[in-house]
Amino acid sequence: MIKNRQTLYSYLTVLLFGFVLFFVGTDGFTAYTAETARVTKLIETQPEFPEVTFEDSEGRTYSISEFEDKYVFITFIYTGCTTVCIQLEENMAQVYDQVPSEYMGKEIVFLSISFDPTRDDPATLNRYKNNFNSDGETWRMARINDQSELDSLLEEFGVIVIPDGNGNFGHNSAFYLVDRQGALVDVMDYTEVDAAANKLVTIIEADKGE
Amino acid sequence: MSQFISGLVLLIVLMIPPVARLMESVMIIHMHMQMPLLVIAGYFMARLFMDRFPSFFEKYNQNGLPGILLFTIIMVYWMLPRTMDEALTVQTVEAFKFISLPFLAGVPLRDSWKKLSKVGRNNLITLFTVMFLGFGWLYIQSNSQLCNNYLVIDQIILGWGFITMAISMVIYLVYSLIVDPSKYE
Repeated sequence: MIKNRQTLYSYLTVLLFGFVLFFVGTDGFTAYTAETARVTKLIETQPEFPEVTFEDSEGRTYSISEFEDKYVFITFIYTGCTTVCIQLEENMAQVYDQVPSEYMGKEIVFLSISFDPTRDDPATLNRYKNNFNSDGETWRMARINDQSELDSLLEEFGVIVIPDGNGNFGHNSAFYLVDRQGALVDVMDYTEVDAAANKLVTIIEADKGE
Repeated sequence: MSQFISGLVLLIVLMIPPVARLMESVMIIHMHMQMPLLVIAGYFMARLFMDRFPSFFEKYNQNGLPGILLFTIIMVYWMLPRTMDEALTVQTVEAFKFISLPFLAGVPLRDSWKKLSKVGRNNLITLFTVMFLGFGWLYIQSNSQLCNNYLVIDQIILGWGFITMAISMVIYLVYSLIVDPSKYE
C-alpha cells in the first residue's frame, strides 16, 4: 500500500511538472511557435522605431520623423523574392484599397522596407512598386543603406532574415503598425486583409473622435 | 562507473559550443541527432544513479510508468517548434535542453525500460510512432515557417525525418509481432 502511494506521488509530481513546463513554455498554452510568442511580446513592449535613414524609390532620404503625427503601416520585403513577399505586398495593396483615400498620406502612410539594400536600389524599388500600384508617396518603398541601422531595426522588431545561400532569404512576415509617436503598437497577421483594414480605420476614426 | 564516464564525456562533447552550433545549424540534425544523443548520454550516466540510489528508483518508479511519463513529457516538449527556436535564441532554454534531455529523459528511460513488460515497451513504441507521424505531418504540410530560425525547406526535411523514423518503428513492431526469436535460439 505504501509503495502504491509513493508511485501515486511520482505520477502527481511528474504531471504537475509537465503541466508547469508546458504552461511556461507556451505562455499559458497560447504560443506553440516562437513567431506567436514574438508577436505577443512585441505588442506588450511596444518598442520605439529606431533612428534609421531610409532611401526611397524616388531617391529621397529621411528618417522615421518624416512620418511624424501619422500612423505608419509597415511590411519588410526584398524585391528578388518570388514567394511570400509577393503575397505580402498584394495583401498590403488590398488593405491600401480598403482604407478610405482621404486618410491616405494625412493620417496614415504605407511603407515597405527592403532588407536587401545591395540589390534594392531606388530604380529597382521604383519598378517593383508599380507591380502593386504603389504611388511612391502615400505608399512608399525604401531601403536602409546602413547595415548596422538595418540590423538594429530588424532586431528591435523581431524580423528574422536567413539568407539561403542562393541570393534568397527566408523570413517571417507580418503587418506592423507604428503609431504617431513612432512606437510599434500592433503586429497583424498578413493573411487577414479585412481584419487589418478594419483595425486601421477603427484606430484612425477613434483618434478623430477625440 | 565507466558507463557513467562515457555518458558524461558524450554530454560534454555535445555541449562544446562549436559542436553544439554545428549540430543546431541543420534543423533535422538538431532534432534527430543532437537531442537523441543527449538522451543517450543520460542513458549511460543513469547506471551511476541507479547504483547509488536504488531505493529511490524502487520507491518512486516502482512499475516504471512514472519514469516513462516523465520521459514522454520531455520528448514532446522538445518536439514543439517553439522550443527548437528558443534553444537557439534564449540561453536558459538552451541550458535547460542540455539538462532535461539527459537527466529527465535519459535517466528515467533506462530505469523504466527494464521494468516494462514486452507489451508495455511495444505500447510505448506505438505511442511514439503515432506522435512522430503527427509531428511529421505538421512539419511537412505547414506552408508557413514554423521556426523563425530555419527555412521552410529544412522544416519539410525534418517532417520526412519524422515519417522515416515512424516507418522504422512500424517495421520493428511488425517484426516483433510475427517473429518469435526463441525459435531461432
